[in-house]
Formats: sequence, structure tokens, C-alpha cells
Amino acid sequence: MGVRHSLIIGLLALIGATLAWVYWDALIGHAGTRLAGLALERVPESGVSNPVTAVLLNFRAYDTLLELAVLLAAILGIWSSGPEARGFLPAGPVLGALTSWVVPLLILAAGYLLWVGGHAPGGAFQAGALLGAAGVVLRLSGEPSAGLPPLPWLRVGIGLGVLIFTLTGLALMALGQGFLTYPAASAKWLILMIETAATLSIGATLAAAYLAGEPVPARSTTQQPGGTRP
Amino acid sequence: MIDWLVLAIAVPLLGSVVAAALPGRASAIGLATAVLTTGSALAASLVVAEGGSLRSDLGGWGAPLGIALAADGLSAALLVMSNLVALGISVYALDYFSGGVRRHFWPLWLLLWTSLNGVFLAADLFNVYVTLELLGISAAALGALSGRPDAVAANLRYLLVGLLGSMTYLLGVALLYTELGTLDIGLAAEALVPGPLAHTAFALMLGGLLLKAALFPLHFWLPPAHSQAPAAVSAALSALVVKAAVYLVLRLWMDLFGPVAGPGAGAMLGVLGAAAVVWGSWRAFRAERLKLLAAYSTVAQVGYLFLFFPLLAIAPPPEREALLGALVLLALTHGFAKAGLFLAAGLLQKRVGHDRIDELGPAIQSLPVVGLTLGLAGVALIGLPPSGTFIAKWILLAESIGAGQWWWAPVVLIGTLLASAYVYRLLANAFGPAAQAEPAAEGALAPIGRLAQAPALLMTLVAVVVLGLGGEPLWGLLEGVGP
Repeated sequence: MGVRHSLIIGLLALIGATLAWVYWDALIGHAGTRLAGLALERVPESGVSNPVTAVLLNFRAYDTLLELAVLLAAILGIWSSGPEARGFLPAGPVLGALTSWVVPLLILAAGYLLWVGGHAPGGAFQAGALLGAAGVVLRLSGEPSAGLPPLPWLRVGIGLGVLIFTLTGLALMALGQGFLTYPAASAKWLILMIETAATLSIGATLAAAYLAGEPVPARSTTQQPGGTRP
Repeated sequence: MIDWLVLAIAVPLLGSVVAAALPGRASAIGLATAVLTTGSALAASLVVAEGGSLRSDLGGWGAPLGIALAADGLSAALLVMSNLVALGISVYALDYFSGGVRRHFWPLWLLLWTSLNGVFLAADLFNVYVTLELLGISAAALGALSGRPDAVAANLRYLLVGLLGSMTYLLGVALLYTELGTLDIGLAAEALVPGPLAHTAFALMLGGLLLKAALFPLHFWLPPAHSQAPAAVSAALSALVVKAAVYLVLRLWMDLFGPVAGPGAGAMLGVLGAAAVVWGSWRAFRAERLKLLAAYSTVAQVGYLFLFFPLLAIAPPPEREALLGALVLLALTHGFAKAGLFLAAGLLQKRVGHDRIDELGPAIQSLPVVGLTLGLAGVALIGLPPSGTFIAKWILLAESIGAGQWWWAPVVLIGTLLASAYVYRLLANAFGPAAQAEPAAEGALAPIGRLAQAPALLMTLVAVVVLGLGGEPLWGLLEGVGP
């Protein structure tokens, strides 16, 4: 380790110490309430009882919409970089059997998390992550499609969350409510609809990202399980 | 009720999803979306020009709980320029990209457009971070569209640098939120008191944004990324994406960190800007390739924008208004001129298959409209009258001498001289005898349609004629912006 490295480490430590001190100072020097109190107070009006979901899908829904757009940009960027990587070999009997157990359980758990997000920890991002994991497991065990639909449908799927989210917002605006201003009576169902679409999109996006490129429509070149049968 | 602020963001977002779902019709969907988006943005700007400012509380919660979109004269000015340039790039892209690349270009391009309008209309510090993420990812993906290894490497670096910039910005936002308990820019400005925290947050947020704005010496990522991207994308990166970061610096400087952003910080930005002007212009002069010249010229032009900050920090209100107007005029002129230059460079590259400046003679001579475009872009980049740059530089010189900071004047003069040199070096090709000696081998020149040449010419005309002779209303639009 040369002088230069020690210098860089010293400088970074100094910056870190300054940041920590300023943060600590702000933390203890602050008398008033932050937004958490206000948000908790308004949760009953949001249509859901889980405060995190209330913030993500109602109070700051516009941020969440743009975050879904970020995921869309990521998968479109991956697709623009070339075709998918080659698939894996089909799984042996033990992994194959395990996969046929694990994947349905993951899908079931995703559905549960999606529903429970309204009143307890859960929601679209968690549920979508489980769906994505199911896709990764399928791909690892030799299923070339990673459980994803054919490309034309997949193209719809990755944008479904943004599509439903934006259309809901615009429909409410056309009805005179303002963009993404849910009426109290239907807030719960609108949020559930948006979250369902977002779950499918997030799951499809994460599984498709694992293919590391645009799926190749003709899968005849990939090794199919049972394809060697005479 | 029609909320133009929302439509300027929601329309391109929807268009992107539809274009991604229907790749066979991506161009038609993309162009229709481009027209509708531009219409929404222009309508929003028109309302601002007539009524002063616009604000829209998304979700109906209002600040501090919800997120708002807001537009004042500064947002409106950049919104108009960005959307017109983006519309021009969209028309150009119809002809520029081949079928395979087209279906990748349109959805990403519309997402980039969404995030640009999002940046200009954001009124919430965290929302700015989200729009910056969308901007960075879509911009890097577009820059790497050609798929060539050097383009992918340059744009991967661009992506990582952009992530570092937004994370640094986010760290500053987190500190501010800890202290102030709000993310709304207006409410945060009311609660902000000068102190160690305000200074630290200012340094972090400014640092992150300067990295994205490519201010010297943080410009290292820009020339390779911008020069390797397809021309239509280079135009957007140089003219619009970099401007978004500069806009945010200006917005935070005036609306949030007023009590913290003093003459010291202004002087620092001025020195870096001066270095950018000299270094960027010199490298542009020495560049072998036209797109690299244009990219280094962007480094220099960003430098000019930051030369205004030391003067803005000390100027009394009437001078401040003059300076702010000149700064915005320079940003708008550069947006139109640089987009036009990159689009013209793309046509030349298509015509002869390369963009080596010294061998571009036959290409320029065979495309007189493109030659005229290059000339007009040159006029705007140098700052010859009647371009908007001329007026902006004139005000910058007058104000710096008036404020007793004469040392910025030689920087402007050196930059202008170097800009003349690199523009003449390029344009000399259009007249040089060496080029005439070249046999006019028609077969070697790829055909270029008229529609493809129109956007670049119109953009440079706006930069030189419209903004130069008709830039006056800009000062009226910007009235009341800032503290």
C-alpha cells in the first residue's frame, strides 16, 4: 500500500466522519416532527392500512410510477444490447423434482404477498421479486423460457404496470379528480389493480433480466428436455 | 380538467409502453407520441407565459405529504427548447435508424423524454432523484445502441458515473430531509437555515449534479460517450441531458440554497467553468473527428454556463435578471445549435461512412443544406451576431466588467477565438481545393433524404435567427424566477 492509497483512505475517512457528524447533529438537533407522523395520521384516508403501501401507492404514487418506468428502461436497455445468453442444461431428477415443488410455492407466496400488502408488510415489489425468483429457478433448471410468455406477450407484460398505473391516473384526471387522486371509496381496489399489474411487470422484468438479452423467438436451437427422444 | 404538466410526462410514458409492445409500428407510435408530447409541453409553457406559474398536486395530498409538479418561467423556457429539439430528433430518427435498431430506439427515447420533462417540472427533491435515475439509465442504453464494443464501454462508464452522481445527490437529500422533515423544494427552502448541515447537503447535491453536468474536471466521461453514440442520441445527450443537470444546479442554487450559495461557491464554479471553456475549446480544436469535436465543444459550452454563477452570486436584482436571462438564452441557443450540429454530423457520417474532419470535403460539398447547417451551428457556437450566444456573451462580458470581475472577460475571448478556429477548420472543407480534386464518385456517396436534412437546419436557424433576434420575451418569461 503506497502513500497514494493511504492518502485516499484518509481523505475518505475524513469525508465519512464529517458526514456522520453532520447527520448526528441533524438527528439530535431536530425538534419538530418529520413526515412519518403526518403520513400515519392520513393512512386511514388512503384506502389501505399498511403505511408503507399508503406512501408508495397513494401519497407518493408518482415516484413509484417513475420507478416502474426505471425498471422498464433497464429491461429495454438489456434487450437493446443483444440476444439472450445460451440456456442451461436440463436439470437432473433431484433438481427437477425440487423445482416442480419450489416454483408453485413461489407463485403462491407472491400472490399472498400481493394481497397482504394492503394491511401488512408486502406489496408489488416483494411479490414481483418472488415471481422473478421463480423465473430464475426455472431457467437454472434448464427451462429456456424461464417461465416467461412468448416474446410478443412478454413485450406487453414488462410495460403492464406502467400502462395500468398511467391509464388509471389519466382516467381519474379525465373524471375531474386530478392525476392519481383516488376517490376514497374505490382507492383500495384501484391500488390493488395497480399493484397486481405492477407485480406481473416486476416479475417478468426481473426474470427477463436474468436472460441477459432479448429472448430469441425460435427456441429450436436450445436443448429441450425430452427433445432427444426418437 | 386538462393538466398539461401531467400530460407532458404521462404521454411519452404511455407512448413508450405502447411502442415497446408493438415493435413493428414503433416509428409511427413514436412520432405520434412525439407530436402529442411537444403539444402538451408547449401548452403548459404557454399557460406559464400568460399566467406566471403552474402547480399541480399529484394525488391531491399536497406538500409535504404528496408530490407536486410545478412550472415557472425557467422550467417553461427549458421545456420549450427540449421538446422542440426532441421533436426534431424524432423526425430525424425516422430516417436515421434501420429497422432492427428502430424498435429498440423508440421506447427508450420516449422514456428519456419522459424523464427530461419530469426533471423540468419536478418540485420535490426525492422526485428529482427518481427522474435523474430514469434519465441516466435510458440515456446510457440509447448511447450504446450501436452495440460496438467501444460505444458500450463508453456508455457503461457513463451509466456508472451517472449513478455515482445521483447517489451523491441522494445523500444530500437524505441529510436535508433529516434536518427539515420535508422534500418539497419550496417548503425546504423556507425551513433551511445556514449551518454545517446546509453546507454539507449543498456540497453533496451540487457535486452529484456537476458530475452529471460534466463540468471540468468531471467531464472525463462525456467526450467518449457522446461521440460514440448514434448521432440522433448524441444530439439529445449533448443538447438536452446535460442541460437537465445544469438546470437543476440553477434551480437549487436560486430556490433552495439561496442563503448558503454565496460568492465563494460562485467563484469556485466560475473557475471550473473557465477551465472548461479553455480546455474544452482546445480539445475541440485538436479533435480529429467531427463528433468528438462536437462533444468537446459541449464541455466548453457547459463551462460558459457556469461562468455566470460568480456574477449571479453577487449581483443586485436588476443585474441578476439580466444575467439569468443571458444564462438561459445561452443554454437554449446551445441546445438548438448543438443538436443541429450532431444531426448534421450524423448525415455526413452516413454519406461517406466516417466523420474524419479533414476528409469531409466531398460529403459537405455534395450536401449544400448540411453545409449551411454546419455554418449556422458554427455561428451559434462561436457567438457571432445575430445568434443568441452573441447576446448572452455580450451581457456576460458587460456584467463581469461592471461587477469588477474583469478576469472572466479574457476567458470568454480565448474560448471564442478557439471556437472560431475549430469551426473554420471544419468549414474550410466546404471550399478547400483538396476536396475539389476528389473525384465525384457518385456510387460511393450514400443517398440522404430531404426530410432527414430539415430538422438540423431548422434547429440551427432557431439558434441563430429566432433566439438571436427574437430572444427578448425570454426576460419577461423569467421575471419573478428565483428568490
